[in-house]
Amino acid sequence: MPPVQNLLHSVRWRLQLWHALILMGVITVLCILAYRLAADDKRERIDRELTSFERAFIRQIFERSNRGSPGEKPPSSNRLRQLMQDMDAAADFPLEMRDLFDPTAVDSTYLAFWDGSGNILFQSANAPRNLTFPPAPPQDQEYSTRLQDSRRELIRNGPRGLRGVVGRDISADMAELHKLAWQISLAGALLWLLGLVGGWWLAGRVIHPINVISQTATRIAGGNVSERIDVTTADDELGRLSHVLNDTFDRLEGAIERQRQFTADASHELRTPLTVILSETSRGLKRERTAEEYQDILTTCSLAGTRMRSLVESLLILARQDGNDHPMPDPGPCDLNQILSEAIRLLQPLANERGIQLASRLEDTACAGDARALSMVAVNLISNAIHHQPHQGSVTVHLRTSFGNAILEVMDTGPGIAADHLPHIFDRFYRVDPSRQANGGHGLGLAIAKAIVTNHGGTIEVESIPGEGSTFRVTIPRT
Amino acid sequence: MRLLVIEDDPLLLRSLAANLREENYAVDTAVNGEDGLFKATSIDYDCIILDGMLPVLDGWELLSRLRKTKSTPVLMLTARDAVPDRVCGLDNGADDYLTKPFDGEELLARIRALIRRSSGQATNLIHIGQALIDTAARSVSLRGETIPLTPREYALVEYLTRHLGSVVSRSELYEHLFDEDDDTLSNLLDVHVSNVRKKLGADFISTRRGHGYAIDPPN
Repeated sequence: MPPVQNLLHSVRWRLQLWHALILMGVITVLCILAYRLAADDKRERIDRELTSFERAFIRQIFERSNRGSPGEKPPSSNRLRQLMQDMDAAADFPLEMRDLFDPTAVDSTYLAFWDGSGNILFQSANAPRNLTFPPAPPQDQEYSTRLQDSRRELIRNGPRGLRGVVGRDISADMAELHKLAWQISLAGALLWLLGLVGGWWLAGRVIHPINVISQTATRIAGGNVSERIDVTTADDELGRLSHVLNDTFDRLEGAIERQRQFTADASHELRTPLTVILSETSRGLKRERTAEEYQDILTTCSLAGTRMRSLVESLLILARQDGNDHPMPDPGPCDLNQILSEAIRLLQPLANERGIQLASRLEDTACAGDARALSMVAVNLISNAIHHQPHQGSVTVHLRTSFGNAILEVMDTGPGIAADHLPHIFDRFYRVDPSRQANGGHGLGLAIAKAIVTNHGGTIEVESIPGEGSTFRVTIPRT
Repeated sequence: MRLLVIEDDPLLLRSLAANLREENYAVDTAVNGEDGLFKATSIDYDCIILDGMLPVLDGWELLSRLRKTKSTPVLMLTARDAVPDRVCGLDNGADDYLTKPFDGEELLARIRALIRRSSGQATNLIHIGQALIDTAARSVSLRGETIPLTPREYALVEYLTRHLGSVVSRSELYEHLFDEDDDTLSNLLDVHVSNVRKKLGADFISTRRGHGYAIDPPN
C-alpha cells in the first residue's frame, strides 16, 4: 500500500477523493431532508388524529347534552361542566372512544379538561397519572403542542375558559421513525458505495488513455523514438493531445535522424584524412629514411591535416548557425556591395588560375545582418561557381534591390546540375559527383550558405539548365 | 604479388600505394570505379583493395560486377562502420573489410591472409625440401640460415611457391611481379630466376621449356 502522500499524487485518487466527499455531502443532505419530511408528516398526522379525536369527543358530549332537547344551542358552560363531571361510563361512546374509560389501555388516546382556574373537569381513565394543568397556548394560536415522556399532547383553549389536553403515547411512532432513519442511512451508505465504485470505474476510464500516452512517451524517452501513441479514441481532448504529441515525436525523430546522419557523414569525412595521417606516419616510422622521403610524408600529413581543419571549421560554422542562441552574432548594417567586391577580389586569383572570367554588376545595396557570415555566403557561392566549370567559362555576380529585398545572383556557364540533384543541392555533405577530388570541397559550402541566409530571414534558390549553367539566387530582406 | 588499389582520395591512394610498394608488392592504382573495374577484370591481381565510396561506380556495385567474371580476393575499405554497410560489402563478394581509420600493419596482415587463403594455404610457413619460406616475414631460409633475397626475387619465389607443382608461364609471372609502371624488359625475369638458383640451389626452380617455370613439391 503506497503512502497517502503518493496516493494524493495520483489524479485518479484525487478525483476519487473529491468524488467521495461531494457524493457523501449530497447523499447526507438528501437523507436528512427525507427523514425530516417523513418526521414532519408523521407529526402532522398525529396532530390531525388528536384534533379529530377531540372534536369527535366534544361532539359526543354535545350530542348527549342535546339529547333531551334537540335543536338547542350548544350547552352553557355550567352545563358542560356538569356533563363532563358526570361522565364515567363507556357504554354510550363509540368503540374507538371506549379506551378512555379503560385504565389499562395506556397506549390509546387520552383526554383531560380543566376549567379556567385549573380545576380538573374531566380526565379520562387512561390518562397518565402525572398529567398536569397545561400552560395556555400563545394568544394568536389555536393550539399548542408539547412532548412529555414520549407523549404527544395537544393543548387547546376551549369555549368559556375551558382548557383541554388530548394526547397519546407516541413511542411506537418514534420507534418507527427511528427505524426509518436507519433505513435511510443504510440506503444512503449503499448509494454512496455504489457511487464510489462507479466513480472509480469512470475515473479509470478517463485516466486510461492518459496512462497509455504516458507509457508510450516513457518508452520514446527511453530511446525507442519510432514508437507512436495509438490514436484510437475519438476526436476528444485526449485524442487531440495524442495527435499533437505524435506530431511532436515525428518532428523529434526527424531531427534525431538528421542529426545522426549528419554526425555519421561528418565522421565519414574525417575518417579519410585521419587514415592518411595514420598510414603515412606508420610508414614513416617503420624504418630510417632520407630527408626527401620524410618531407614527402610530412607534406602528405600536412595536406590531410589542412583538410580536416577546413572540415572542422565548416562544421563549427554550421553548428553556430544551427544554435538558436545567437544565430546572428553581429547584426548590423552591411554594405553588400563592399562585401561582394571583397569576395571577388579574394577569388580573382583562383579564377585567373582556372582561366575563368569573373564579372560583376553591383548596385549599392545594404541590409541588416552579420557581415562576416554574409561574406562567407558570397565566397562559397562564387568559389563554387569557379570550381564547377571547365576552363574558359565565366562567372557573373549580380547584386540588385527589388521590393525591399537585396538580391544576389551568381551565374556560371558550367555544365549545370541535373534535375534529380537540384532538390538536394543544399543538403549537408551532398555532392552531385561523389568524387572527392572533383573539387577541394567537402559538401558543406552550400549547406552553410543556406543556413546563414535562412538565419537572415532570406531564401536561397538555384536554377539550372544542364549544359548551359546554373544560377544561385539569394534574397535577403533589407530591414 | 600484384595488387590493385581503388581509392578516390588522392592522398590516401598515394599513401596506400607507397606503403604497399615498400612491402615489395607490385601496386596498380585506380581513382574511380570504372577505371578500377576495367583493371580488375583485365588483369589477374592477387588482391584488390577497394574503397566503398567511389565516383562513377561505387565500390559495392563494382564488386558485384567484378564477381561475375573474377574471384580475385577483395579487401574493402569503408568509412561507414554501420553493420548494414559491412554486411552489404561481404554479401556482395568482399572477402574482408577494414573500417577507416585503420592501422597500416593490420591492412598488410589482412592482405597477406587473403593471399594465403586464396592460394589454399593455412599458415605463413611453407617447407620445400630444405628451404623454409615465411610469407609473413617475407624471408627464405635454407637449412636454418636466412638467405638474403631482393624483393623481386622473394616475390618470384613466393609466387611459384603459392602455385607449388604447377607450371607458371612467363607472362603470368610478369603480370604478378611487375606493376603497370615497371619497364618490363623481356630478360629481367631470367635474371631473377638465375639469381634465385644461385642462392637456393640450381634445381630449386625448374624450367619447362616453352611453358614457364615451376617449383616442384618435395617428394
